Order: sequence, then C-alpha cells, then structure tokens
Amino acid sequence: MKITTRPSTLAPLASIAAFVLLCAAPQAEAGTAINKRVAVLPGGSVEISNTAGQVTVTGWDRNEVEVTGTLGDGSERLEFATQDKVTRVRVVLPNKSWHVEDTDLVVKVPVGSGLSVSTISADIRARGVRGAQRLQSVSGDVNGEAGAEDVECQTISGDVAVAGSGLKGLLNITTVSGDAMITHVAGELNGNTVSGKFTITLGDTTRSRLRTTSGDVSMATQLAADGRLDIESISGGIRLDLTGPVNAAFDVSSFSGEIRNCFGPKPRRTDEYAPGKEWRFAEGQGAARVRIKSMNGDISVCRK
Amino acid sequence: MTQTNDTGQDERLDRALQSLPRGVEPTRDLWPRIEARLERTAAEAPAQAPRRAWAWQAAAAVLLVAGTALLTATLVQRSRDASLAQSPPPAAVPGVRAMPAVFGPAHAPNPEYDAARQQLSAMLQQKMAQMPLSARQKLEANLAEMQRAAAEINAALDQQPGDPLLEELLLNTYHDELAMLAVVNQLTSTSDAGTPADATRMQL
Repeated sequence: MKITTRPSTLAPLASIAAFVLLCAAPQAEAGTAINKRVAVLPGGSVEISNTAGQVTVTGWDRNEVEVTGTLGDGSERLEFATQDKVTRVRVVLPNKSWHVEDTDLVVKVPVGSGLSVSTISADIRARGVRGAQRLQSVSGDVNGEAGAEDVECQTISGDVAVAGSGLKGLLNITTVSGDAMITHVAGELNGNTVSGKFTITLGDTTRSRLRTTSGDVSMATQLAADGRLDIESISGGIRLDLTGPVNAAFDVSSFSGEIRNCFGPKPRRTDEYAPGKEWRFAEGQGAARVRIKSMNGDISVCRK
Repeated sequence: MTQTNDTGQDERLDRALQSLPRGVEPTRDLWPRIEARLERTAAEAPAQAPRRAWAWQAAAAVLLVAGTALLTATLVQRSRDASLAQSPPPAAVPGVRAMPAVFGPAHAPNPEYDAARQQLSAMLQQKMAQMPLSARQKLEANLAEMQRAAAEINAALDQQPGDPLLEELLLNTYHDELAMLAVVNQLTSTSDAGTPADATRMQL
C-alpha cells in the first residue's frame, strides 16, 4: 500500500494487511511541501514527532490521516507509516543532526483517535481530538483541549494551555519552568511544576492535586460534593477561590508563609515558639476536603 | 465506769470527726488547666495519627517512585545504548548532579532512592547537550531550585526537628525531584524519535 500525494480512496480494511512504510522510497525533498494521506481503521492512534517548527492536529470525521505542511531544510525525510491501528508521522533527521530548519506539520486525524505528539522545540496545537492525548515538548508550547478521555501534557520550558469542554476526564500537566493555563476543565487534575505559574479555572473538581516548588498557583473552582483538593508549594504562593456552595473541611498550614482566608476562623499558630500557622475549619457539611501546605509561600482561600 | 469512760471517748471522737472538713480544698483551682490539657490532647490525637501514617505512606511512595524510575531509566537506557555507543560521548554538562539528600538532621535516604537518582541524573547529563540552549539553561536553573528548596527545608528542620509539615514537604520535594528527572529523561527520549536509531514508543 502506498501513499500518494493525492487523497486516497483505499478501503480501511486494506490497511490491516501489513506494515507499510509509506515513505521508504519516495522521499520528500527538504523545504518542499508535504501532502500525504492514508486510510486508517477507526479507534486507532496517531503518533507524531517533530524537532523544530509547529505541529497542528485537528480531528475530523473521516477514517483517514492527512499530513500537509513543509519539511524544513536539513531534515532527511518525513516518515508516514501505518501498522495495525497505529499511524506514525515523524520528521527524520540525518544521523546525529539536531540543527534543522522548522518543519510545519498540519495533521488531520479521525476525531476519536488517540494522539501522541512529541517535539523538541516545535509548538503543538491540538483541536477536536476526542481520544486520549499525550502532548509533550522540550521547549515548545503546548495548546490542547480536554474532554472525557485522559490528556497528558509535559514540557520543560514550554507553556501549556488546555481548554476543557466541561466533560469530566483526567488531565495531567507537568512542566519544569513552563506556565500552565487551564480553563473549564472538569474532573481530575494533576499538576506539577518547579517554577511555572499555574492559572486554573475548573468547572467541577472531583480530584485535584497540584505541586510546585517556587511557582505560583491560582485556582478558581467549584468543589464537587465529595471533591478532594490537594495543593502543595515550597515557596510559591497559592490562591484558591471557591465558587458555588462550599461544603468542605479545610486543612491549611504553612511553616512561615501567611494564611489569609475570607471566611471561617482566623488561622492560629501551631506552636508558641515556632513560626508555623494552620487553619482547620469545616464549612457546611464538610464532605469535600481541601488540603493546602506550604513552606514559606503565602496562602489565600476565599469564596466568590 | 469503764463503760462510761468508753462512751465519753466515743462522743469525743465523734465530735472530732464531725469537726474535720468534708473535703480538702486545693491551694488554687487546678481544673481549668487540667481541662485545657485534656481538650488539647483530644484535639491533637486524631491529627497526629494520620500525620504519622502519612509519613510512612509518603516514604513508601518515594521508594516506589525510586524503583519505578530506576526501572524506567534502565529500560530507556537499554533502548538507547546502541545509538549512544556509536556516537562520541557528549560533553559533560555542568549543573546536573544528584541532590545531596538528607532527611532532617539525623536521617539518610534509602540507597535505592539514591541509586535511582544518580542514574537518572547521569542519563540526563548525556541528553542535555542535545537540548535547545534556553531549555537546558532553564532546566539547570530549576533543578538547582529544587536543591535549594530541599536545603532550605533541611535547614528549617535543623531548627525544628520532627516538624511534621517540614518532613512532609521535604519527602515530597525528594519525590518531585525524582519524578521530574524521570519526566525530563522521558521527554528527551521520545522527542528525538526522529533519529533513525530511536526505538522508543510512546504509550497512550
């Protein structure tokens, strides 16, 4: 089975036959346009890797994967292959070469596909993909959407932005220094950063666990009835704004940071001779649990 | 006579007994302090138990992560050995070194934990030469930031030995450093999938 530069009419079942290396012989010329398409089975996954440039992925309602864009100078070729239910799109570099011109990939995948994108400095943008996603880059920015399936975003210095649909799913975000902007996500969120700033607006949190060393966390959320929220920081500030009715037990403590709360009793010192402060309080029925800890980062908890 | 004398003694004893106070009053009111201590004990007891339980769970989690990270590191390293063997050794990258882990003034971490961290750090050092300069610099700065945070907590623990919050934060900092090293190693492994020798596959 060979992929041409024109839209393919191959039946999906034909792609089961064997592993196909679609670009083994005909190589795309560096700096030239890319235009490839292959029929795939529903429910498969697509793996994309690029070094520099951009990767834009869009879900569509066809059982085909299409790749367009431009292969950057210095790249050896574009591999575009499918085996069983896995389609791989990767920019192949000459052996041990890392300094290449940008390659821009525009990839269309079946809307239900699983998606894995990995880059070094290329930015990643994914829209309209409903399968599980793993989006990771060393220094590129990641911009994705979260739905009912699991989404994982990882960067070292790249920023992350994830927009939710309100559907409850699992979102994992890890950055070293990159910032993260998360909006309208529901369900479970796990976030880890060293110095990145996390700005989060959640719809309905069931489980959230955020950890930072020196980065700040700003979070606005509505707690589910049995929600669990756990935020921890060493020196980063933590701000939590709760929306909607609050029925939660709070366990907030800081070794040397300030604790500010807009409701409930005042924080008290944990020891007469030590600098620690804590705020333990139950609002309403207290079914949800909020736990916040810091070394010397300031903590603010308010209700909007 | 004898009977009369005995009766007289009994009457004197009865009067003497009746003249004794019904109770012994303390020199000052002790109850408020006793009550305060009882209330404090009752309030602290349920909080201390989970903290101690949590500490064990956290320690177990760190060991689990160490083991997992070591396994991951070994598997990834095996898949990379071929390509690395064909290439000249990368230049040493300053700034990537294992955090000198100390858990409070009188504790030492598990050797397996140290081994996992040493291996992850060594692998990362090899890969950092291939990273974009700005990302490499940020990574080095942030690894140093985690080391600084651990040192700061250790210094505080030196002043407040056994502080449960500090112990928890320190354990989690070690855990986070190991997890971050594993993530960065994985990122730099899967991101160079464009090289012909790469065999790493991403799992969804």
